[in-house]
Amino acid sequence: MNRNSFKARILASGVVVAGMLTVVTGATGGAASAAAKSSPYLIGVPMPMTGAEAQAGTQIYNAELMAAQQINKKGGVLGHQLKLIEQDDACDAGTAVNAANLLVSKGVQAEVGGYCSGATLPAEPIIARAGIPYVMPAANSPELTTGGYKNVFLIDPSGAGDGAEAAAFFKQQGIKKIFIIDDQSSFGVAIANAAAKDIKANGGTVTGGVQSIPATSNDFSAVISQIKSSGAKGIYWSGYFAQAAQFATQLNAAGIIGAHGSAKFVVADGSVDATYLSGAGAAGNGTYATIAALASGVGNVLGTHADQVFNAAYRKEFKAAPGPYSTFGYDAITALVLAAKDAKSIAPARVIAKLHTLSFNGLTGKVSFDKTGNRLGAVMDLLEVVNGKYTLAKPQPKL
Amino acid sequence: MSLLLNEIGNGIFLGAFFGLVALGYSMVYGILRLINFAHGDFYMVAAFVSYTILGAVAVGHSHGHWWTVVWVGLVVMVITGALAALANQLIYRPMRRAAILSLMIAAIGLSQVLENGVLVTPHWGATYLVYPVTTPPRGFNLGSNHYTWGQLFIVLISGLLALGVYFLVGRTLLGKAMRAVSEDRIAATLMGINVDLVIAIVFFIGGALAGAAAVMTGVYYGQINYLMGFTVGLEAFTAAVLGGIGNIGGAVLGGLILGIVQSIGTGIFGAEWSIVVAFGALVLMLWIRPTGLLGERVARRM
Repeated sequence: MNRNSFKARILASGVVVAGMLTVVTGATGGAASAAAKSSPYLIGVPMPMTGAEAQAGTQIYNAELMAAQQINKKGGVLGHQLKLIEQDDACDAGTAVNAANLLVSKGVQAEVGGYCSGATLPAEPIIARAGIPYVMPAANSPELTTGGYKNVFLIDPSGAGDGAEAAAFFKQQGIKKIFIIDDQSSFGVAIANAAAKDIKANGGTVTGGVQSIPATSNDFSAVISQIKSSGAKGIYWSGYFAQAAQFATQLNAAGIIGAHGSAKFVVADGSVDATYLSGAGAAGNGTYATIAALASGVGNVLGTHADQVFNAAYRKEFKAAPGPYSTFGYDAITALVLAAKDAKSIAPARVIAKLHTLSFNGLTGKVSFDKTGNRLGAVMDLLEVVNGKYTLAKPQPKL
Repeated sequence: MSLLLNEIGNGIFLGAFFGLVALGYSMVYGILRLINFAHGDFYMVAAFVSYTILGAVAVGHSHGHWWTVVWVGLVVMVITGALAALANQLIYRPMRRAAILSLMIAAIGLSQVLENGVLVTPHWGATYLVYPVTTPPRGFNLGSNHYTWGQLFIVLISGLLALGVYFLVGRTLLGKAMRAVSEDRIAATLMGINVDLVIAIVFFIGGALAGAAAVMTGVYYGQINYLMGFTVGLEAFTAAVLGGIGNIGGAVLGGLILGIVQSIGTGIFGAEWSIVVAFGALVLMLWIRPTGLLGERVARRM
């Protein structure tokens, strides 16, 4: 084969790849809004659509699409049709910065996105400079609201509550020695450190300091040996669900938790997902998770007083079950639109001002924000996995 | 002390995976001087293929029957080997006279095509998939560590496969042909060796080993996703360089050392240092012995 035909082949394969990518974006970008009389309301949606967190990102984005479609059917907001512009942040800081710049250059008048806090944090200053509202459906690292930005609003209550709830649980159980491990993500590290502080304040000890395992690692054996030799009776994981399932499985096989162990395994809200339950299987039974009470009662987590209408509509539209944070995506869009209606304008500065005073009943309960943009009324729930399902643990620990 | 011994045990288990994947890197490098960056993605594709086959044949057995896993493993080894050989035939063989750097870039391109190919394949996609069969938690205690029978089985299989490759390359006529091609491709052609066939077989064996590692990863760790090949590829490549790239024994030894160093690093310094310790060991090794542990024969043999 000569060089030229090889070049042609490379070119051809490039075209194939480009085609594949078009398919990917095409499949998720199907929210063609009807032509509006006035200009569309452009909303940037940075979300992980590829990479390890793509599943969660898609579930939130789909719910946002659904909200936008429903609003557009009723004539949009102040005559403007909503137009969501999705941009993949891949749960990666560098990609997220590019995505934020790209969205701003496309002239978006608001941003409604963010699942991974680590990818959301570096985008904050870019969005703040653009002077547009930044409503985050699921990113909830405590660091997100400490930057002093006036345009940031967290629909998912700050993760600082996760650590406090876990610490209260360990105290309730009389567990003094606790081993804490995170996944080196911005969210994981912040929650782990918050939990360590709360555990120490409750008179417990954090054996071996707060440990971090790379988010790409699937082998916890070295850490498990350390847990064994430390004699810790409580294990706290602040990373995401896929690793949580592997950690639980390996802890169970090592006889630390489950039928042959006496330790308690608790995970933060990043690990609340159906994939945790199926991945951990029987090893997941008797493990615990903390999550905002607003999140646990809706969507798929507990299944109690779930918004049946939302679930049914979502399933019909996307042929799949919504994720635990789908309703947060829906409420994020609703919050933005209601603020714009209050402001009688989609001018970013006026929408931001109205978001601060906004209060409405969304799918995730009452939505209102404190001065820094944190969701108010952030009560935590402790969930226990029983027979492969999340249940509300009894009794709930007292903070 | 017992923590140290436990971490060595953990490291040997981890190293068994690194070693198997490293063998594929090392053999291809030995024969073509090519660092095949797509190798980790052969492993990833194998994990998805075995996921689909096992899902179809092992329904209802959460722990499966071990012989089901074994025959599916063998089938997947053949499929992955064929995939690697096909990649060689379609991509690397036409480029054989090109600069080695072009081949490496083509390998990176192939890696992207495989990852995104799995991403857009129906039923595979971007999500974490839960492997249909997992090893049961039963096992034995050694020191204060608990090992499962599955872990022991995985280490034994890895050892047997590595021994098989060692024997094949060192003791058989085919192995002699591989070494001849590695040493001087033109002279080997003149001696009547079918160079293209030998290279294709090397790719096949490397792919098959990655396939075996993928099935074992699936049944032990229980989850797969389309980016899993990257991390493993990086670690296996490190193992291959540590042991002396191009050397069969070196790849296995490098894998074991990397696994043990990572585990001990975690035990002593904490999990956040495991990668720093592993790559620190690599830098130190390359500083003392730039050819890697067993790398002195790299110029002459595989």
